Amino acid sequence: MAHGDVKHDYHLVNPSPWPLLGSIGALFLAVGGVVLMRGVGEGFFLAKGQWTLFLIGAAIMTITCIGWWGDVIKESRAGDHTPVVDIGLRYGMILFIASEVMFFVAWFWVFFEMVIFHDNRSSWIIAGDPEAMAAWANWPPPHVETFDPFQLPLMNTLILLLSGTTVTWAHHALQQDDRKGATLGLLLTVLLGLAFTYVQFGVEYPEAGFAFGNAGEVASANVYGASFFMATGFHGAHVIIGTIFLAVCLLRLISGGFSAKKHFGLEAAAWYWHFVDVVWLFLFTFVYVTPYLTMQGN
Amino acid sequence: MKRGALSTIAAGAAAIFGAGSALAAEGAPTPGGVHFQEPATAVMRDIVSFHDNWLMPIIVGVSVFVLALLLWVIVRFNRRANPTPRKFTHNLLVEVIWTIVPVIILVVIASQSFPLIIKEETIPQSEYTLKVTGRSWSWAYEYPDLGVSFTSSILSDEDIAARNAGDPEVPARRLLSTTEPLVVPVGANVHVLVTSEDVIHAWAVPSFGVKEDAIMGRVNETWFNVDSPGVYYGQCSELCGKDHAFMPIEVRAVSRAEFAEWVVAQGGTMPGAPAVGAGGEPEAAAAAPTR
Amino acid sequence: MSHHDAAHAGGAHDAHGDHRPSIYDPRRWLFSTNHKDIGTMYLVFAIIAGLIGGAMSGLIRWELKEPGITFLPHLVHVPHAILEQVRLGVMNADQLWAWKVDAAKHFYDTLVTYHGLIMIFFMVMPAMIGGFGNWFVPLMIGAPDMAFPRMNNISFWLLPVSFTLAMISFLVPGAGDHAGFGGGWTLYAPLSTNWGGGATPFSYHDGPAMDFLILSLHIAGASSILGAINFITTIFNMRAPGMTLHRMPLFVWSMLVTVWLLVLSLPVLAGALTMLLTDRNFHTNFFNPAGGGDPVMYQHLFWFFGHPEVYILILPGFGMVSQIVSTFSRKPVFGYLGMAYAMVSIGLIGFVVWAHHMYTVGMGLDLEAYFIAATMVIAVPTGIKIFSWIATMWGGSIDFKVPMLWAIGFIFLFTVGGVTGVVLANSGVDTSFHDTYYVVAHFHYVLSLGAVFAIFGGFFYWIPKMSGYRYNGFLAGLQFWIMFIGVNIVFFPQHFLGAQGMPRRHVDYNEAYQYWNNISTIGYLITAVGVLVFLVTLVEMFLVKRKAGANPWGEGANTLEWSLSSPPPFHQFNELPVIKPEAGH
Ligand code: HEA
Ligand code: HEA
Ligand code: CUA
Ligand SMILES: [Cu+2]
Repeated sequence: MAHGDVKHDYHLVNPSPWPLLGSIGALFLAVGGVVLMRGVGEGFFLAKGQWTLFLIGAAIMTITCIGWWGDVIKESRAGDHTPVVDIGLRYGMILFIASEVMFFVAWFWVFFEMVIFHDNRSSWIIAGDPEAMAAWANWPPPHVETFDPFQLPLMNTLILLLSGTTVTWAHHALQQDDRKGATLGLLLTVLLGLAFTYVQFGVEYPEAGFAFGNAGEVASANVYGASFFMATGFHGAHVIIGTIFLAVCLLRLISGGFSAKKHFGLEAAAWYWHFVDVVWLFLFTFVYVTPYLTMQGN
Repeated sequence: MKRGALSTIAAGAAAIFGAGSALAAEGAPTPGGVHFQEPATAVMRDIVSFHDNWLMPIIVGVSVFVLALLLWVIVRFNRRANPTPRKFTHNLLVEVIWTIVPVIILVVIASQSFPLIIKEETIPQSEYTLKVTGRSWSWAYEYPDLGVSFTSSILSDEDIAARNAGDPEVPARRLLSTTEPLVVPVGANVHVLVTSEDVIHAWAVPSFGVKEDAIMGRVNETWFNVDSPGVYYGQCSELCGKDHAFMPIEVRAVSRAEFAEWVVAQGGTMPGAPAVGAGGEPEAAAAAPTR
Repeated sequence: MSHHDAAHAGGAHDAHGDHRPSIYDPRRWLFSTNHKDIGTMYLVFAIIAGLIGGAMSGLIRWELKEPGITFLPHLVHVPHAILEQVRLGVMNADQLWAWKVDAAKHFYDTLVTYHGLIMIFFMVMPAMIGGFGNWFVPLMIGAPDMAFPRMNNISFWLLPVSFTLAMISFLVPGAGDHAGFGGGWTLYAPLSTNWGGGATPFSYHDGPAMDFLILSLHIAGASSILGAINFITTIFNMRAPGMTLHRMPLFVWSMLVTVWLLVLSLPVLAGALTMLLTDRNFHTNFFNPAGGGDPVMYQHLFWFFGHPEVYILILPGFGMVSQIVSTFSRKPVFGYLGMAYAMVSIGLIGFVVWAHHMYTVGMGLDLEAYFIAATMVIAVPTGIKIFSWIATMWGGSIDFKVPMLWAIGFIFLFTVGGVTGVVLANSGVDTSFHDTYYVVAHFHYVLSLGAVFAIFGGFFYWIPKMSGYRYNGFLAGLQFWIMFIGVNIVFFPQHFLGAQGMPRRHVDYNEAYQYWNNISTIGYLITAVGVLVFLVTLVEMFLVKRKAGANPWGEGANTLEWSLSSPPPFHQFNELPVIKPEAGH
């Protein structure tokens, strides 16, 4: 984009209000979050359970996202995304996914720690609370009924794997400039994503034989439920985000937004989707299948 | 070492408050001190010797060496002394040396370090088991096999003044003395189990070389074997909230006989000893190990 | 191309010299997409945070000047309910004082906590990575800006947000009546969690302070991760023609390693913080043994982040010291590749040593032995750095300008802090030192006498470039000597206190510890004078406006930033520089 005296292809972005606005949104979200969960004072804005500040934050965030990414799309159309900028975007997306992987490492860490070392704990001479001892001694702990992985979870695995193929189909179709095929593939992917979310949150979760909550009140509420729901829940949240991402791409595709050569938005969405897919395979293997197979003796 | 013939509460009190027994050694900080507290166990002696004979010379040596080099280049290669800089950027030999020599130094350190942790972490055959439970903000002690248990909290300023007014052999110390000291026998391996009822605390007695986190839901182990009778202080060593600085540890190490008396006075029984008040021979009782 | 003129309406004149917007135009700062402006905002932010964090450490030192709880009770916040009781005569003056003394205990803990957090997350990281990194990584690799200029700006603006949340957290109820979270910068569970039920109900920090703090750190983390992605992309993708990885200045190398550590370690902290949050608010029991969880697991997750974090705090300093030493010795860096890969290996090994912070949790012999060995290994690449700096000076023609003073101070004092780290690595003696002032002395030697020295060195090295003005050498030199003496008096005696067994995070101590604590506090007063002199130096510099040329340091300063005017044009390198083999570092 050589112009005037600028003799390089990098993209010098114009000043933008979105970062500041997004930060203010984050402030509202955070304060609102604490108000929601715990309450900071009294009244409409600060008492526990009040949504006002949180929703203001969410609204600001939504506006920011739309405005920000809208600008990105505009800049892309304007040709600011030269090949070298495009490579930069790819680095950015890959690194973002890398950081997400490390986030999931934390949740798997907890899970593996519990699976592998629960024996250690019961062998400590715990001269105290028998309930705690029992919780240490077994994995999954007492009162927990795990899922049979070869029913719903297997189906969900297949749904997600299938969606991985449809998104690849969409991508390849677009590369061949087959916009119809691309649209269809993407549409199917979004639908499969929705199906996954429905099956997980709508069907599987309500059937869980363990709980997430106060250990004192629900016998089966313990760290098994917690690590199960937090790990699969964060995965589920990523599925939803990925689905939205893909849906936006679908809209852009329908409105003629991508070309056979340039469609990084779609590629990024696809990468993200594959990442979500891989995380699920780990979850399926280690959170659903392995415990089920190895714990049947318990 | 004087051993009172009393086998009554009075003896217990004597053991606790030091009247009539020789609490020669003391494990406490010294004003302006720059070094470890006086070691009272073999483990702590090993820690001190590892630190003093190996680590200190090495780290002082390294620091002085770096300082000397710096001073040398400052004097020799400043702008006035050396107006035209040389331009070399490599010298394989010195690079290899300053990689290999530190490795050797570290191997030497490790060779001394590993035996020490083996000694610290291997719990020997023990005569007594002591259970220590941290809670916000006091310590609960129990000799499960002896049927003795009690709680020990910080001694208030008023109580310190009152106790010190009686001119005791061991004056009470602010933030270190407790309402009820832990009593342990000298020369016996004591196996310590440490746990907590709430947040994490840490049971630490510097002169024993012992510091073990007290964590709810798990029981940590350590051990000590005190050389000589005395009073040894420690403090909670893991931040546990507002009164973290106010849950001291006070250990009185006494002879086996006095220990037996103390146990009985606390309403416990020494294994193999006749019931309280029957006037058995404490020495024999104390000699019988619990396991 | 017409689209382009539209996109850059008003920006077309960029190329003609230095038409920067006025500094009084708020949009220049609020909406900035310019790496130098954003870097400047980071630096201002870091200085403010440093002053606040430094003031907090002053309160800490003042309370510790003498035994007893004598100073902080005057400062604690007294809730209305208590004042009301005093007014009604239910509480007399003595009882009120007793209440204040009790409150001061918690207040002290909060001061320690927020002091640590502010210094680490809001002073050192913003100064080194956000400030100097933003300013000089693009300049040194010959790039016109960062890869994602707009994202760069949100990385910055999230920080004041995060800091605001931390300050809210400091002021809202934390534990019962008492404001703020007082569980240490490590936020250990269960002190930081709050279990409403279970076999052992426990709730210490029951107020919202901890929740605010968690979200504050989440946001600070997000800011750093976005920044890190930006740096990696910039360094990998935007180097000028000929600027190969092996020709990058060492400061760029140090940033590259640092930001990788950020990308890989911060998300794990985010996970741990999220677990704290859900443990507190949704009873997830991750760290609650009664529900099958484990408090020690929090420590593993925290230190898996926390140890790489300490290298995040020092590596950019290594980079700056390399630039400074080479510049003022008028000699290229000795052993460039060894220096670069020493940092890479410090970064890598830094990921597998975390449990040396946890020797007393009861981890068992084998793990202790492993972590001792792994930890000590880091001394080798660090030694390579120390000796290579000295070798760079060796044969050089050293000019003792202010940045060089800080750099030389750094090399020696960091060594002192590093070797006490090696002592601590040996779990056998760490039994004695863990959670005592020996550890406090160790980490202030590497932080307050290491990282901070590097920051001041970098600041005086680059301030002529950044502002276009030269500082007053006498004042700046004075600051160095006052602070050098001050911080050593603060922290050297703390080794003695630690050896004598004084535990850290104790608001009060036995009289035996008085002597060295007193001296340490006097050292703080000296240090504080040094910080004042720093401020005076800054003000004087901007008032007197001595113009700095493009390169005030002479032939030794041969990295790209010195080829530009001081201050550099608003957009530099409209025509990319071409790096020839001889140039480079
Ligand atoms: C900038 C930050 C920084 C840096 C660089 C370091 C560097 C090191 N640290 Fe430090 N550390 C902290 C910040 C840092 N640390 C903090 C903040 C804490 C406390 C956290 C808390 O609990 O709140 C801590 C705590 C801490 C502990 C836990 C102590 C405890 O809580 O009980 C340990 C234990 O192993 C340790 C070890 C080390 C080691 C081995 C190094 C090594 O990297 C040092 C290597 C450097 C040298 C060795 C000097 C130069 C080398 C030579 C000249 C070569 C020759 C030398 C030899 C052969 C010895 N540190
Ligand atoms: C970078 C980190 C850093 C720095 C610089 C400092 C600086 C200081 N610290 Fe801090 N400290 C910590 C990190 C740091 N500390 C941490 C992590 C803890 C542990 C917390 C915990 O236990 O949870 C701690 C704990 C701690 C304690 C222990 C409290 C206890 O355990 O009870 C004490 C006690 O003396 C103390 C004192 C001081 C003093 C007197 C300084 C003085 O050096 C302060 C003088 C001021 C400065 C040196 C700052 C000047 C800098 C600027 C003004 C910015 C300049 C910026 C640019 C030029 C861009 N600190
Ligand atoms: Cu108990 Cu600190
Ligand atoms: Cu560490």
